[in-house]
Amino acid sequence: MAGLLELDGLTRRFGAVAALDGLSFGVPAGEVVGFLGPNGAGKTTTMRAIFGLTDLDAGSVRWNGAAIGPAERRRFGYMPEERGLYPSMRVGEEIEYLGRLHGMTPGDAASAAESWLERLEVADRADSKVEALSHGNQQRVQLAAALVHDPELLVLDEPLAGLDPAGIDVIGQVLVEQAGAGRCVLFSSHQLDLVEDLCDSVAIIDHGRLVASGSVDELATEGARRLAVRVEGDRQGGWARGLPGVTVSQVQGGEVRLVLDEAVDSDAVLDAARRAGRVSQFVFERRRLSEVFREAVAR
Amino acid sequence: MKVFPIVILALVAGFVIRRRLDRRRGRPRFPFRWLGSSTAGRKPHGGTGPSGGRTLLGDTGLVAGREIRERVRSRMFRVVTAILVAVVAAAVVIPTIHGATSRQRVGVVAGSAALHAELLELARTVGVRVELVDEPDVPRARAALEAGHLDLVVESGKILLEAPLSSSDTSSGARYVRDLSASLGAQRAFARAGLTAEQAAIVARAGSLPIESLQPAKAPRTTSEATALLGVILVFVVLTQYLTWTLMGVMEEKASRVVEVLLATVRPIQLLAGKVIGIGAVALAQAAVLVAFALLLGEAVGSSLVSGTAPLVMAATLVWLVLGYAFYSWVYAAAGSLGERQDQIQSLALPLSVPLLIGYLVSLVGVSSGNPSLLVKVLAYLPPTAPFAMPTLVGFGDAAWWQFLLSAVASVACTVAVALVAARVYRAAVLRTGTRVRLRELLPGSAG
Repeated sequence: MAGLLELDGLTRRFGAVAALDGLSFGVPAGEVVGFLGPNGAGKTTTMRAIFGLTDLDAGSVRWNGAAIGPAERRRFGYMPEERGLYPSMRVGEEIEYLGRLHGMTPGDAASAAESWLERLEVADRADSKVEALSHGNQQRVQLAAALVHDPELLVLDEPLAGLDPAGIDVIGQVLVEQAGAGRCVLFSSHQLDLVEDLCDSVAIIDHGRLVASGSVDELATEGARRLAVRVEGDRQGGWARGLPGVTVSQVQGGEVRLVLDEAVDSDAVLDAARRAGRVSQFVFERRRLSEVFREAVAR
Repeated sequence: MKVFPIVILALVAGFVIRRRLDRRRGRPRFPFRWLGSSTAGRKPHGGTGPSGGRTLLGDTGLVAGREIRERVRSRMFRVVTAILVAVVAAAVVIPTIHGATSRQRVGVVAGSAALHAELLELARTVGVRVELVDEPDVPRARAALEAGHLDLVVESGKILLEAPLSSSDTSSGARYVRDLSASLGAQRAFARAGLTAEQAAIVARAGSLPIESLQPAKAPRTTSEATALLGVILVFVVLTQYLTWTLMGVMEEKASRVVEVLLATVRPIQLLAGKVIGIGAVALAQAAVLVAFALLLGEAVGSSLVSGTAPLVMAATLVWLVLGYAFYSWVYAAAGSLGERQDQIQSLALPLSVPLLIGYLVSLVGVSSGNPSLLVKVLAYLPPTAPFAMPTLVGFGDAAWWQFLLSAVASVACTVAVALVAARVYRAAVLRTGTRVRLRELLPGSAG
C-alpha cells in the first residue's frame, strides 16, 4: 500500500522490549485509515515516531517520498493519546496559539479557531478555561487543536475514546470529511465497529509488527469463503458433513455455518443443500472487523 | 540618571494605555504580537504553508509571548507585585520618617547668642535637627527634662541628660551630645587660658595640615551600602520567585501532556528558550518597575537611597538580575522537565537553591558588616553567586569597571555552557512520563 505517508521498517527497542519491530505501512491521501492493535502493540510509539517524538533505532518515516523535517511537521495535525492542553488557558486562545505555532498569521489563526470550535459544537465555551470543560468537550477542543491549521496529515491517537454517541458522530463526520477533502487521516481505536463504519482501510499491528492491512472490504471478504445456509428438514447440517473441502464451523438455531476450501465450487454446495430439503437461506458472509482483528493478533 | 525612571514609567504607562485601547477595540487576544507577529501580512487561510506567520523571534517568540501574557494576567503576579511595591515604599519612606523624628530638644539655661549659634552649627555638622528652648533657671530645666519635654539641658559648665549615655549608643542624638560636650569643654578651656572670643574662635576652627603626595589623589569614594542591601534583597526575591515559576511552568507542560502537542511542531530548544525568555522578560519588567518606583519615590521624599552612586548600584543590580536569571533559568527549567508532580518541586528546587542562598547570605552579611569580606570578593567572580556579590562590591565602590565586565563575561560564558547541557536534559526528559527521571538515566549509553 503505497501512499503519501510511508512508514518503512520502523524499529524501536526499550531495553529488552521491542516496541516496534520492522513496522511498515502507508497512509494514502483521501482515506481514513484505522490503526489497530492490542494494548502495548506499539501504536502510540508509531504515532510519536511520525512526529519525531521518539527516536528510532532503525527505519524511516517519509512524506511524499522525502524525509520529514520541521517544515513538514507544521502541516501535520496530532492528537496524542494522553490529551494535552494548557488547563488554565482559555479555549479560543489556546486553539489560536496552536494555530500560530503551525505558522498561521494571527488573523487566520483566530478565524480558524472560531470556525473549528463552531464545527465541533463547542463555540459557546471559547472563553472558558480548558480545565472547566467536561471530558467530552475537552476532547472536541483537542481535535480542534489538531485541525486548526488545516493539516495535510491527521494523526489521532484514540480520538473516540470516552465520547458519548453525539461526540462520536461529530468527530466521525469530521474525519470522513477530511479524507474526502484529500487529507491523510490515520487514527487508532479499540472500538472496532466504529472503525469498520468510518475507515476505508486498516493497519493491524501486534508486537510492533504489521499483522494485517488492506481495505475494510478486502479484509472482510479475503481468506476462506464462508456460507450461512438454512435447509428446512435438515437443521443440524448433516447434508454438509462429508462434502469434500467443506467444514461445518457452527450450527445454531437451524443456521449452519460453513467454511469452504479454495477449490470448492459453491454451486455444488447449493446443489447438495437442495437435495436435503428446501433451502431458505444461502448467504456468503462478510467477516466482521473484530473477527479479522482477533485472527490477525492470534497468529 | 534622573531620566532613567521617567523613561521606564513612560514605557509602562504607554503599554498599559495601549492594552486598554486594544481591549476597547475588541482585540484582547494577542498582546506581545511583536514577539511573534506576521511580517507577511494577512493571508487567506488554507494551504498557505508555514510561511503564513513568520515571526520576529520565530516560534521562540510565540512561546515567549504566551508566557508573558499568561504570567502578567495571573492573580499571583498582581498580588506579588503589589506586595513588592509596598515593601519598596516602606524601605524608602520609613528611614526618612525616622530621620525626621530624631529631633533633639535642647534646653538652654542662661544661654548667649554665641552659644545658640554654636549649638545649631554643631547640629548641622552631626546631621540632627535641634530645637532650642530657653529655660529661665536650672530647676525648671531639670523638671522639663524629667517630664520628657527636653532631650538634654545645657547649663553653665555641664550637660544634663535624663538617662546615662551608653558608650555603645551610636545614634545621631548620642553623637551630638558627645560632640557638644567636647566642643563646649574646649571653649571653656580657651576661656580659662585667657583667649579672647576671636582667638578662641580661630582655635576652634583649627583645621589639620594638608597632606600632599607626589602621585595624584584618587577621587573620593562615595558608597551606597544601603542601596546595595536593597539590591541584593531584590535580586534574591525576584530570582527565587521567577526561577520557581520557570520550574513549575516546565513541569506543568509535562504534567498536562501539552508538551507532546507542542513538540510535534516546535523544536525542544525553541520551547525551552521561549519559556526562559518570556518569564525572564516579566521578571526584568517587574524589577525595573520596582527600581523606577524606588528612585521616583526616593527623589520625592529626599531619601539617601537615591543619592550619590545609588542609581549606579541600582543599574548594576538590574544587570545582575538579568545575568543571574539567565544563568539559573536553564537549570531550573531542565529540573522541571525531570518531574511532573507538585510534591516533586521542593526536592528538585532545593539542591539548585543552595548556591543562590550562599551568594545571598554572604553578600547580606558583607553589606550589613559595612565591609565586603574577601569571600564576597571571590564570590563576585563565580557566576552562581556573582548576581549578589558583584552589586555588593559596586555598592561599596570596590569594583572597577573592568572587574565588573570580567565577571559579567564569565557569567555569560557559563550561561551558554549551562544552557547547552540543560537543553540536552530537557529534550531527553520532558517526554518521559510516569516516574521521576533520574539524571543518570539521561547520560549517554543508558537504556531507554
